[in-house]
Amino acid sequence: MRIEKGNICNMQLLFLITGFVQSSISLIDFTVVITEHQTWMVILAGLVIATPFILSYVALAKRFPGMNLIQINDAVYGRFLGKVISVYYIFFLMMTLSFNILDVGELYATFLMPDTPFIYLLIFFTATCAYAVTKGLEVLARVSHLFVVVGIIVPVSTFLLLIDQMDFSNFLPFFELPLIRVFHGIHIMLSIPFGETIVFLMIMGSVNKTEGMVKNTLTGLLIGTSSLLIAAVRNTAVLGNTEAIWTSPSFQSTRLIDIGTVLTRMDFLIGIAQTVLIFFKCSLFFYALAVAVSQLFGLKSYLPLVLPLAGIEVIIAATVFQSPVDHAAITQDAGIIYSVPLMFVIPPLSLLIAKICGLPKPERGKGV
Amino acid sequence: MILLILIYIAILLLSVPGLIKRKEWRELTFFSVLYIIAFVLGLLYVLDIPVPSPMKALQYIIADVLGIKYPQQ
Repeated sequence: MRIEKGNICNMQLLFLITGFVQSSISLIDFTVVITEHQTWMVILAGLVIATPFILSYVALAKRFPGMNLIQINDAVYGRFLGKVISVYYIFFLMMTLSFNILDVGELYATFLMPDTPFIYLLIFFTATCAYAVTKGLEVLARVSHLFVVVGIIVPVSTFLLLIDQMDFSNFLPFFELPLIRVFHGIHIMLSIPFGETIVFLMIMGSVNKTEGMVKNTLTGLLIGTSSLLIAAVRNTAVLGNTEAIWTSPSFQSTRLIDIGTVLTRMDFLIGIAQTVLIFFKCSLFFYALAVAVSQLFGLKSYLPLVLPLAGIEVIIAATVFQSPVDHAAITQDAGIIYSVPLMFVIPPLSLLIAKICGLPKPERGKGV
Repeated sequence: MILLILIYIAILLLSVPGLIKRKEWRELTFFSVLYIIAFVLGLLYVLDIPVPSPMKALQYIIADVLGIKYPQQ
């Protein structure tokens, strides 16, 4: 039984994927500590390595039209093992959603509203996401282009406004970092902006036409990655070696904008962009989580679960890490390791099993 | 504490009447389970009782038990 009744078109899928990848723009600040001035390379390498895996997600969605990840797991692995794997995915969705809610809380508590109690920031942000989720996937998809516009305008405009302060020798020397750090950076990129697109297996079943899904997914990935790349290049070119010591290189670099002493303190643009984009990502994750839990328990609608799940997410976000340092350390390590099977093993394996076993089996009486 | 109780009363008033009216008993059951979990977690947080972190447990299993970890920068 399908829980989501609405449908989205291929163009909306493109905007959803673009906005989703762009929403990891704050991740640039997070990776810079490890990959320093080679962050741009790591983003590109991440995209190249992730593409075949993301194509396997699309191939799965095309093979099981109208089905979401939980239904696909049941169809491929059977009811018991399928449910176990689905619980693993639900755990991943819950954790990732709480990390993103926490990201917004930390952004506001550190840079924008330091005097506001942390828990209130989390409650209001999560309530806003919950409201968006109750409106359904169609509404989110219909407004997705607005998020994409923010995700393009802010990096491009700040890049242009900082062009006179850029020093492109900051990118030299190439290939200076130890290989393990580059590998670590690529792993972060693979897991967070790109691997997390596994969430689209909860959404692609609602795309009205499966033709053109590959093209739109790849286009979305490329546009989204361009925004990440522009932000990474801007930060390195402006800040150079110092970018690794700032809490947020994006905030720091845009603070340096000074056009005739009129255009200054443009870091508010970064605050707005990160809030809007993380809201978009959290709404998609929240939607996927609510639908996944409802599907697992065979409910007719996901709507009754949205508010209790929001309550759980707020408390997980508030308590999962002791500090921002703890948050960064664990996410860069165990946080990206535990999700490897979910992103890079199970989907290609499901596709292989489906091909070998000829799944999904044609229904009796309907022919092939 | 008062805010927590008010929020959870509001959630109850927003969700339960519709579920009962539509006779969605299965939905009501799972709503109740998640509602109780959410309320208990909220209560623990408000009372300053440490809530166990699943990520700490994962970090322990992955890094300390299995020995899979990246070198510290």
